Amino acid sequence: MEVSIDWVKTLRDLLTSSLRDNMLPLPVDEKICTKWQRGLQSEKSHRVLYTSCMYQIAPVIQKAVENLEKFGVTRGGLLSKAASVGARLAGGLVLRPSREELERSNAILRSIYRLLKASGVEFGLLDKEPYSGALLYELGFVDEFAEYAKRVYQFFKERGVREVVTVDPHTHNVLEKVYPQYVPGFDIRVVSYLDLVDAGRVKVKARGFAIHDSCLYARHLGKYDRVRELLKAGSPVEDFYITGRETSGCCGGPAESIAPKLATRIAMDRASKLSKLSKTVVVACPICMVNLSRTGLVEVKDISEVLEA
Amino acid sequence: MSWQEAVERAKSHIVPRTYDVLARFPYVKDLAKEVRKVKEEVVKNLDYYIEELKKSVERIGGTFTLAETAEEAREAAAKIVGRGKVVVMGKNNVAIETGLRRRLEEEGNEVWETDLGEFLIQLADDEPSHILAPAVHMTKEKAAEVLAKRLGMAVPPEPEAIAQRAREFLREKFFKADVGITGANAIAADTGAVVLVENEGNIRMTTVVPPVHIVYDGVEKIVPTLLHAFMSAAVQSAYAGLYPPTYLNFSAGPSSTADIEMRRVSPAQGPKSFHVILVDNGRRAAARDPDLWEALLCIRCGRCHMHCPVYWALGKEFGVPPYTGPMGVMWTAVTRGIKEAGPHALKCVHAGNCREVCPMGIDIPKVIHAVRARYLK
Repeated sequence: MEVSIDWVKTLRDLLTSSLRDNMLPLPVDEKICTKWQRGLQSEKSHRVLYTSCMYQIAPVIQKAVENLEKFGVTRGGLLSKAASVGARLAGGLVLRPSREELERSNAILRSIYRLLKASGVEFGLLDKEPYSGALLYELGFVDEFAEYAKRVYQFFKERGVREVVTVDPHTHNVLEKVYPQYVPGFDIRVVSYLDLVDAGRVKVKARGFAIHDSCLYARHLGKYDRVRELLKAGSPVEDFYITGRETSGCCGGPAESIAPKLATRIAMDRASKLSKLSKTVVVACPICMVNLSRTGLVEVKDISEVLEA
Repeated sequence: MSWQEAVERAKSHIVPRTYDVLARFPYVKDLAKEVRKVKEEVVKNLDYYIEELKKSVERIGGTFTLAETAEEAREAAAKIVGRGKVVVMGKNNVAIETGLRRRLEEEGNEVWETDLGEFLIQLADDEPSHILAPAVHMTKEKAAEVLAKRLGMAVPPEPEAIAQRAREFLREKFFKADVGITGANAIAADTGAVVLVENEGNIRMTTVVPPVHIVYDGVEKIVPTLLHAFMSAAVQSAYAGLYPPTYLNFSAGPSSTADIEMRRVSPAQGPKSFHVILVDNGRRAAARDPDLWEALLCIRCGRCHMHCPVYWALGKEFGVPPYTGPMGVMWTAVTRGIKEAGPHALKCVHAGNCREVCPMGIDIPKVIHAVRARYLK
């Protein structure tokens, strides 16, 4: 199962050109990133809720790769050259989340907003939701990431932001662990909404589900126990060898854009193990949500769909 | 049986066993911390420790060769072995890394792998899929078939029967062997003593029965003292889930006796000569590399494989054998360079389980990320 270097480099070009144009990893309409804010109140605060447009575009990335995969692009060769890929993308085949997908991601973000409000957290909203650049870094395009990250930092500084509240593990990881290494003078505090939600003030709507941990939250950011603290009242089904901190597995998402077959194999394996515990799986990451959902083996809910203010 | 079934079966046996060992013998975790500390010290002062080891090996009556490349290593061993000999080998990843067996066979030597898994891999002309259990991808049916096809042995497809037939076949080779070649779990710089962990008894035979013992392994196996070598072996076997190991072997020089007038003379019952060939092949450069140096701390317990979702999915396609799995991607970079390791590093999903379960606490995802970033530059 080889990765095509031609394709990986084409992907880099696609990402960097799109980020240059609209600060999003794909040429999507940037309005889809802020639609969830409609009717919600933004407080004047140095702390902002920052989605990085992750929940909004995660379904699009998956669909883009699925389509490109159909054309054999990810296997390399001539098809993976930038011009050819650009033509596929420009054909409008892949770049809009469906109405249901967008409504769901908006509902998730609005739920996060309400959970924070119910917990007494004060924060503002952003006029734009630029992408953090996490994918560039995770793929290994460090120089391109470093250049882009400076722009994002600048974006925050222009708006007087001193603290960002993140809603997903990829954004959180890159801001907390990676930005300080690559952005000179990076001085923005990064906090996850999971740590701000008051477990005593929220209810758990579902019961008997299994938890699929985000790799980043569980093993890179120390939030394995926090997720369980929030979900405790739903009596999640645990198995040391399936949902343990050291023994659980990935959803396959990080391999999605460069090795889709590997990603599918990992996702199927993961979903099949989780399905032995429960047919309902709770995740805390938009990438996990998309990847496990498409296995068709389990019903996947985001943690913010299960927690109620 | 598919790879997925094979690896699930292996996981179901060894993962709980390893947790059980670590719970039952909690001192092992403290030993692991100590081993990490001293290995870091050696990696940071590798040339000094190589020189110390050379002096120690020569002091105990052995010969010492530092081979900078795979070719130099093969040639040094080929020179000691000579032609037309029978050679028995303990499982040795550096021998695979450097293509030693083939080189010795070219000289008309009869060379046998004596570790059961490696023996099956040799017979099947296959590649190892795991650093400790090279034939983990092979079913019992396949193993029986290989014995039947390559050695004409009719054997029922049962592990006990396969082990028994291999024992009968290899026993004869041990007693005919002119040379025994092993790797090392750790080599003590202060004494020149080599420590080897095993369960089958093949390594003990390989180190004692033939008149010549060659130790052939990487420079990163050096630890400061004999005590550290023992600690390293204990930690390796515990994190491999096989603790206590059935055998723990120390070899420090040719066999000797001091029974006549208490004067130590050589040889006695064991080997007449003892040779240490230490292989660099990228390791000294890695020791100075800001990203790769940490890979040299790996003690080859193979635990990271069993916790890695990419290895579960791909087996030996993740890395270049014998270096597969998370540690294998790092080690492919150390021994074959970024260009060969890069395509494998791209498959990593940074799940992070490998770092959590690594006895040396190596930040494997970080090293692999650095490999992919350098590959893509």
